[in-house]
Amino acid sequence: MKTDPTIANPDDFYERLLDAHRGLTAEQSAQLNARLILLLANQVGDDKVLAECVGAAAKPFTAQQ
Amino acid sequence: MPDDPAVLPAAPVTKVAGVTTGGAYELPVYPFVAPAELRGKMGRHAVVVVGAGLAGLTAACDLAQHGVPVVVLDEDDTVGVRGASSRGICYAQKSLEIFKRLGVFERIASRGVSWSVGRTLAGSDEIFTFDLKSLPNFGASEQPPFINLQQFYVEWYLVDRAYELGTVDLRWRNRLAGCAQQRDGLMLEVETPAGRYEIETQWLIDCSGSRSPLRSILNVPVHTEHVVDRWCISDVRFKTRPPAERWTWIQAPFNDDRAVWQHLMADDVWRLDYQMAHDANPEEFSQPAIVADRLRRQFGADVDYELVWVGPYSYRGQCLETFRVGRVFFAGDAAHVMSPFGARGGNSGIQDADNLVWKLALVLEGKAPEHLLDSYDAERRAAAQQNIRITTRTARFLSPQAPMDRLFRDAVVSLAREYPFARAFVNTGRLSSPTHYQGSPLNVGEGGGRSLQNIALTLPDGKRGDLVDLVEYAGYRVLGLVTQPVDRYFAEELDLLEEKYPVRFFRLQADVGVTSAFRTVVDPDERLAAELGCDGPSTSLVRPDLHLAGTLDAAGAPDIERALRKLLALT
Repeated sequence: MKTDPTIANPDDFYERLLDAHRGLTAEQSAQLNARLILLLANQVGDDKVLAECVGAAAKPFTAQQ
Repeated sequence: MPDDPAVLPAAPVTKVAGVTTGGAYELPVYPFVAPAELRGKMGRHAVVVVGAGLAGLTAACDLAQHGVPVVVLDEDDTVGVRGASSRGICYAQKSLEIFKRLGVFERIASRGVSWSVGRTLAGSDEIFTFDLKSLPNFGASEQPPFINLQQFYVEWYLVDRAYELGTVDLRWRNRLAGCAQQRDGLMLEVETPAGRYEIETQWLIDCSGSRSPLRSILNVPVHTEHVVDRWCISDVRFKTRPPAERWTWIQAPFNDDRAVWQHLMADDVWRLDYQMAHDANPEEFSQPAIVADRLRRQFGADVDYELVWVGPYSYRGQCLETFRVGRVFFAGDAAHVMSPFGARGGNSGIQDADNLVWKLALVLEGKAPEHLLDSYDAERRAAAQQNIRITTRTARFLSPQAPMDRLFRDAVVSLAREYPFARAFVNTGRLSSPTHYQGSPLNVGEGGGRSLQNIALTLPDGKRGDLVDLVEYAGYRVLGLVTQPVDRYFAEELDLLEEKYPVRFFRLQADVGVTSAFRTVVDPDERLAAELGCDGPSTSLVRPDLHLAGTLDAAGAPDIERALRKLLALT
């Protein structure tokens, strides 16, 4: 899992992401996010990297070991 | 339709005392014959099988073909589940290869329906289509990927075969009531219409289904997962036929956006399986008028059909914590229960029997130690756990419980309409495929545990055949397939190994023209060599259940002997 920045224009991406959600209901936003996660996951492809990303995303909510 | 000639068996059936109706079918009724034990005659049997279902009958026929006489106890006197149309409908390639060895494949193939196209739909959109014929992992076998057939037909053919073999003692209306473990055997108590009797056996295979009495008699711990998902089967005979394909709706508009299965069986009967709402009333859902309404919504107002059988069901995941307790083995639903998705239940029961029988036959012959039988638990419990895991994933997709499960399922379905990558997530059942015994204690080398397809070969006698025929030709011994040169000296060493161990060696070559003094099997397109993973000169050891134990590169006789001893649990 890469943790150093790789996106050339982070502000562009962030703006695009927020804009995509503008005017959507919470349910539609959730659906958009789910679609986006699946699309991005397919760009990554690698099992190990995906597992590490899921783990890192879940970190605040997983019980302390 | 009791006199429909289409439901009569394809070959004359022996020993039938009458008929019974199960749904709209006529099924054979087998006679109760008072066993010798009731007249005070006691004998000690080698193997008793409890339950004449798919797993039990496979085990019984297979044991008989291995030369082991067997007693089968069944509490009923017919095939199938009395009053039910059919349970299993879908027989996978590995099971069909086993049925070929048992001599019932031809009947199953001529009665059953082959299919290869599956379509998945959501709403009125087709999300994706597969054709099994184009998938490489099914293509090498002499048997098709799948045949659909009502389960009772398969059982019926196996019962006929068991009678034909002559050494299967089928005891109908004999119910197992007790089992006591003794030092070197088991004492069973059996109830019959003519009274109770005791029977002594060395080994017992429990194939008595998910309500096995032996589980509680022997206190075997069971791991159970309850599921709230419920379905209703409607088996229907159409006057106008739908296409011979497997259709699955993830969300069917004619079933309030819940899942529906449309699958074919023999005799022009279709299995339509409707997912019910969790709070639905199963009795109401199964009312003929409600069924008729659903069928009209699905097939149009003028649908012309005859209802063969209707019934609601639920499922659960269940696995015993051990498949062997001393001299008792658990197989089929008695050992594990799973959701029906992917047809993994019945097929894995058939493969349980296939795994156990050659081992048990070798132990009874004194050619392998009892310790070999522990590998049955290691291999088949791992297979059951894998199957339960796979079917549970399908259930989670088809019946999402948590709101987030539902959210991702909807995201997958919406993406799958447009993008091929998302179709890989669409899980309407991962079709039954053989388990590769990767972690098996019997593996001896490269590729160990891999299930081999039934590849066409020319046998040493020059006859065309396949790998299943070669196993029979070799008398159910381990196959040693040699691609390395066999000179006179090596041939003598292999002969010595054949004298010491239950193994038979063959030289495997691609070219018919090459003459070899040693027994030769021709593998014209080197398909078997590819399955075995032979890159160069090697010897592969293949088990009678067509799992590769391992391929040894350019091994000498001592290496082969060491591998054989591991495979036979002699070390």
